[in-house]
Parts: sequence; structure tokens; C-alpha cells
Amino acid sequence: MQAALSYLLHTLFPPTVLRPTELGADVLILATGVIIVTVLTRQKKWGWLWREWLTTVDHKKIGVMYLIAAIAMLFRGGVDALMMRTNLALPSVHFINAEEYNEVFTTHGTIMIFFMAMPLIFALFNAIIPLMIGARDVAFPRLNAVSFWLFAFGALLFNISFVVGGSPNAGWTAYPPLTELAFNPGPGEDYYFMSLFISGIGTTITGINFLVTILRMRAPGMTLWRMPLFAWTALCTSALILFAFPPLTVALGTSLLDRLFGASFYTLGHGGMPMMYVNLFWLFGHPEVYIVVLPAFGIFSEVVATYARKPLFGYSAMVLSVIAIMVLSYGTWVHHFFTMGAGPGVNVFFGLSTMLIAIPTGVKIFNWIFTMWGGRIRLTVAMLYQLAFIPTFVVGGATGVLLATVPVDYQLHNTYFLVAHFHNTLIGGTVFGLLSGLYYWWPKMFGYKLDERQGQWAFWLFFLGFWITFGPQYLLGLQGMTRRLWTYPFGFGWHELNFISTVGAYIMGAGFLVLVYNVLWSMQHGERDLTGDPWDGRTLEWSLPSPAPEYNFARIPVVTARDAWWAMKAEGRANQVKRVRPEEVAALELPRNTGMPFFLGLGFFIMGFGLVFRWWWIGIAGIVVVLASMLWFGFDYDDKKHVHPDVIRRTEAALGRLEA
Amino acid sequence: MSHPTEPALHPDQEPVRYLHAHFEDDRRFPWGKLWGYVGSLALTFAAFGAVAQHLWPPTALMTLILGLAVAQAGLQLGVFMHLRESRGPSWQIAGLALALFIAVGLVGMSIWVMLFKSGVS
Ligand code: HEM
Ligand SMILES: [Cu+2]
Repeated sequence: MQAALSYLLHTLFPPTVLRPTELGADVLILATGVIIVTVLTRQKKWGWLWREWLTTVDHKKIGVMYLIAAIAMLFRGGVDALMMRTNLALPSVHFINAEEYNEVFTTHGTIMIFFMAMPLIFALFNAIIPLMIGARDVAFPRLNAVSFWLFAFGALLFNISFVVGGSPNAGWTAYPPLTELAFNPGPGEDYYFMSLFISGIGTTITGINFLVTILRMRAPGMTLWRMPLFAWTALCTSALILFAFPPLTVALGTSLLDRLFGASFYTLGHGGMPMMYVNLFWLFGHPEVYIVVLPAFGIFSEVVATYARKPLFGYSAMVLSVIAIMVLSYGTWVHHFFTMGAGPGVNVFFGLSTMLIAIPTGVKIFNWIFTMWGGRIRLTVAMLYQLAFIPTFVVGGATGVLLATVPVDYQLHNTYFLVAHFHNTLIGGTVFGLLSGLYYWWPKMFGYKLDERQGQWAFWLFFLGFWITFGPQYLLGLQGMTRRLWTYPFGFGWHELNFISTVGAYIMGAGFLVLVYNVLWSMQHGERDLTGDPWDGRTLEWSLPSPAPEYNFARIPVVTARDAWWAMKAEGRANQVKRVRPEEVAALELPRNTGMPFFLGLGFFIMGFGLVFRWWWIGIAGIVVVLASMLWFGFDYDDKKHVHPDVIRRTEAALGRLEA
Repeated sequence: MSHPTEPALHPDQEPVRYLHAHFEDDRRFPWGKLWGYVGSLALTFAAFGAVAQHLWPPTALMTLILGLAVAQAGLQLGVFMHLRESRGPSWQIAGLALALFIAVGLVGMSIWVMLFKSGVS
């Protein structure tokens, strides 16, 4: 008994999770947990939470849950970033030690990509795409909830590694041999592989779901050539997901087989091939960077047209360049490992294919600028992010082309030049894009606007903080400072630039706090949106009330033009579209809520936890829960509920949309 | 299958636009799928067993597992991917062609990239 207990304590809480930062995190987690549980119990909200949220299959609510998770993960990833920047502020600061630094950059990178950027994108897809294309839901509502819960439980599994058992420490790329059991015992890397494996299944399903939704469920009249650009980018993103995630799944799965069951896919000594992991990872990894940036392109295309009050310039060129980017991005992955030395032929091919992508991207940049040209621009926060995005992303792209030049890459590979480059595209592109989209669609999602003045404060802190952080890092890279370096001595002349960079990081941290304040303040005092169309929008989602009712459209609109809602308003049909006559309302079938996706995710979580610690019986128990949930899923034929026309009439009347 | 509440279709509209999630409303026991699943598992374990037992010399082994992989891909496409159902425009054909192009391209290029056959080089 005593022995078992001490074994348990030792496995779950080894010395690496008993350092001050980890204990601080423990206290924070416990405190938050206690507060949440108390509030829910006090207000008797458990049933509500379960019925309204945890079992929901409504794409709008799933979008909100993705959003909450993504903001929490942005916080976690941001704290990691500040820990790293604090350690690098001055020479020989030993705020955290080398081992902990490894864990922190690994966690930061993984969380920011997989558990912040991806869910934030899915938040907007879920919240907006069905409304934008005139659909009542996504094609597979229950699978949509499955995707969410696989993501959520995968993220949870990854996050507990910090305080239970030990964090992964081999970078967000997790290359062997660093991740082999012989060189990296302990549960850290198992956590990494397992959690990405689980959430990756969810992501693949989301890709399929939105592919089918967009291809099959558009409103009558909305041909592909009339589809808004955000829907186009969602379509191409989904296609990228569909083809990019399987190589990742294979890479993760084989690594797990190596670690858990002694296979040797990547063990050199037994004829394995570690570089094959690198190849597989980047077969996924490069499309992944377009998976996170294409939606931002789509958002900017909507935002710029709305706030410049002009149709998007060069619609067909925009669509074609998105498609070109999608196709080309499959053929560039080797630029992440030129230094592997596959030979001049291979490297030149992939260097050139990488530079080729700059062409469609440039086309898009020019088209955004031409859209603004001569427009009457409203400088809202969403538009500010757009304006900041253009120069920031151009610098990110230009440094990318520099890195695609093979001899240059041999010099700059894995230096701070690279770190600055990818943050330039990830923050300047993805994060600015998603923030722009949040400010733009927030009223549609929640029924009130985010305060503009506070939003501007957050914007300027982010924008200036970004350049103060990452501008100096280009120079540091040129001076030879390598990536993933935990500290440096005084004599290298790196300290001034590093100090400036750290100041910038704290400015961005302040920007995040203002953003959160902005949201909380606006929840109470923000301007309510009673029109459903606060920005004088152009696409169908603005024809609906904010937030949209559960069934989205009481009557599906018929689309006759690009910028469908704008055209309806121009033709004076706005009221006709918005208002329904009682006899037009018919009964509807909507998907019924279910707890199955939650239990499926929980089963995967239990399985993952068991396998991470090699507690096979727990792993098997998790698999049993997974199988049981799938059986339940398969034989639950009662998955639809009927909504009586009277219910819809009453809802529409309350919204002032029912003709007398 | 057009949804009862949808407005009348335009002449250029495909009714498939309103497809709901149930592609097959067939409630008989899915024996075909079960056998497909068992078959997939059998093919996987056959490949695994052949490699684990070093059944043949490497080149022959490689050919064998490639063959098993192609067989399994065909099986899954046929049983699970609705390849044999057809309805509406032939999205499947375009999708399948694209998938083939990308899969063959990725595998081919990977072989090219990894051809220097090095773990460390
Ligand atoms: C608040 C702003 C941010 C700051 C100050 C920041 C800072 C850093 C730092 C200091 C590193 C480690 C560099 C090293 O030691 O090699 C890093 C790595 C990384 N960051 Fe960020 N970051 C920020 C935001 C983001 C965002 C938004 C993303 C993605 C969407 C991101 C993705 C990454 C990735 C993928 C890595 C590489 C991790 C690895 O080496 O495995 N970062 N960041
Ligand atoms: Cu790349």
C-alpha cells in the first residue's frame, strides 16, 4: 500500500513538476477550479451547463466553446512566451533553467499552433460559415461536436503534462532521436504525441465537415463563383486539412509505436530512418502554415470590402490565387530541412517552388490595396488590423523568400532570424487576421459590439509590441543567436537587442490584458446590435438577427449575386428577405443534442492518460469508453428533433421579423 | 431529396444541395462495413506479421506490403467511402483524381527527397 502510494506520487509528481513555476501553476489551476465549481454549484448551473453547452450540436455554440478554449490557450502560450523572454532579457538571467526552458518553448509552440490558432479558426468557421452560405447547420452536426470534444480533451491532456508527470521538451516539431525513449524517458513526449494524435482526429473530421458543408449546403443561387471569399478560404483550408493531417497522424502514430511498443521506425540503430519523421512532419507542417493563414486571408477579404464600402477588387483573381496557394503549398515542405543535405537538385526544386508561392500571395496583397483605393474607409478596429497586417505580412513573406534561398538558409537556419520570420507571418497574418475577424463578427456571435476605443488601445499595444519584440530578433539572428537558446553570456553583444525584444513582449502582454478587459467591459456595457447589420455588411450572415436563432434562417434566402446581402439591400429587397409571412414558416428538423461526443472525447482522454504512464488497464478502459460511445453513436437513430412552425413564428415575432 | 421547407429550386440547382447527414437511411445491420473493417484489420496484421517475422528479403517484403497497402486502400474506398454509390454530379471522380494526384505526388517526391538514403548523411 505504502509502496503503491509512493510509486504513484513519484510517477505523477517527479521533481521536474515540483519547481516553483509548476507549483505556482498548480495553485492557479486549483484556485480557478474551485471558483468555477463553487459558482456553478451556488447558481445551480450544472444542469444548464450540460444541457445547453456540453451536449450541444449547434454550430454557433460550438464556435463559442472553441473561442473560449482558444483565448485560454492564448493566455497559456503567452505566459510561456513571457517566461522565455524574461529569461533572455539580459545575459545569464537564470529565472528558469535549461531543462525548463526546453519545456516552455515546446509547450509555447505546440499550444500556439494546435490549441490556439486552430481552434480560433474553427471558432470563426463554426460561428460564421453556415450563416454566410445560407445553411441551417453544418453537414454533420454531431461529428462537429465530436471534433470539438476531441480537440478539447486533447488540449487538456497536453496541458496537464506541465503539472502531472512532466512536460514534453523536444520542440513543437518533436524530431527523433531526441524523442526516442532511450534519450527522452519520462511521459513528456508521450503526452505530446498522444494529445496531438487525439486532437488531430478531431481536426481531420472538421476538415471533412466543412468541405461537405460548403460544397453541398449553399443557399439556392449561391454558385461557387458567388461565394464570399471567407467561404472560399474555408473550403481550401478544409481541403488542406484533409490531405495534410494524415501524414502527421502517421508520424505521431509511428513515434508512439516506437516509444510504447519498442518499434524502430525512427531508431537508426535498428535500421530506422529518423529523417523520415522530419519528412512526414513537414509534409504536414508546411500545409499547416497555410491552414492557419488562409482563413486570415478570407477574413481580410470580407473586412476590407465592408469597411471600404466597395466590392472586393479582382474577385476571380483572389479565388484563383487561393486555389494556387492551396496547390503549391503541397510542394514546398523540404524548405524546412534544406540543411538535411538531400542534394542540390532537391534543394533547388523546393527553393524555387517556395518562391513561386510569393506570386499568388502578392496578387492578393495588391487586390486588398486596390479594394481600399478610392473607397470611403471606416477605420474600425477590424480595419486597423487589416492595415497593420499588410506591411507586417509583406515583411514576413519577404524574409520567407530570403530563407527559401538555399545558401542563405544554410546561414540562417534555426537562428533568431527564423524565429522573427515565422512570428511575422503567424502573428502578422494569422493572429491579426483572427483578431480582425473577432472584432468584425463579434456582434453577430454575441449580439453586442466590442468597444472601439478600448479595442484601439489593444490594437496599438499589439502592433507596436509586435515590432519591438520581433524587429530586433532579425538582427540577433544575423548576429548568430541561435533558436531554442536558454541563456547567453555577456560578451556576445546580444543583450541590448534582447532587452528591447523582452520589453516588446511585455507590451504585447499588456495588449492581451486590454483585449480581455475590452471583452468583459463590452459584455456589460457594449453597444447592443439590434439591427443584425451593424457594419452595413455585404454577406448573408448580416441579414440575420444577432445572434442568429437556433435554426439560423426561418426561410432560406435565394441568392442572385455576389455580395448577396448587399445586392438585396441595393435592390430594396432587404425587408422582404428579413421578414417572413406566417404561412411561409414550415416545420423544421434540427439535430438533437447528445452527450456522446463528450464521452467519446473523455474516453480518448482516459486512454491517452493510461498510455502516457503505461498503465495499460486504464488505457484499455479508455478504449472501452471510446467503443461504447461509438456504438451509441451508431445505433442512436433518434438524432433529430422537430421544431413546430409555431415555435419559429414566435421566435421570429419576438425578433420583430414576422409580418402581421 | 429536397427538404420540405426549402424554397422551390432554381432550374440550375441540384437537389443534392440540401442533403442531410444521413446518406443512407438503411437500418439493416451493416454487415458489409463490418466485413470491410475486419478485412482491413486482417490486411494490416498480415503486413505487420510479414515484417516482424522477416518473412522475405527486404525488397520482396517491401513489394508485398506495398501490394497489401494498395489492396487495403481499394477495400476502404469501396466499402467505406461510398465509391459505389453515385448521385448528382461526379464530385467523387474529381475528388478521387485529386487525391490520387496528391498521394502519388507526395509519395513520389518523398522517395526522391529521401533517396540519399541517409540517417545522418
Ligand atoms: C505574444 C507574442 C509572442 C512572443 C513574445 C513569442 C515568443 C517566442 C519565443 C521567445 C520563442 C522561443 C524562441 C526560441 O527559444 O527558440 C517562440 C517560439 C515559437 N513561437 Fe512564439 N511568441 C509569441 C507568439 C506566438 C504565436 C501567436 C505563435 C503561433 C501562432 C507562436 C509560435 C511559435 C512557435 C511555433 C515557436 C517555436 C517553438 C519551438 O522552437 O519548438 N508564437 N516564441
Ligand atoms: Cu514551410
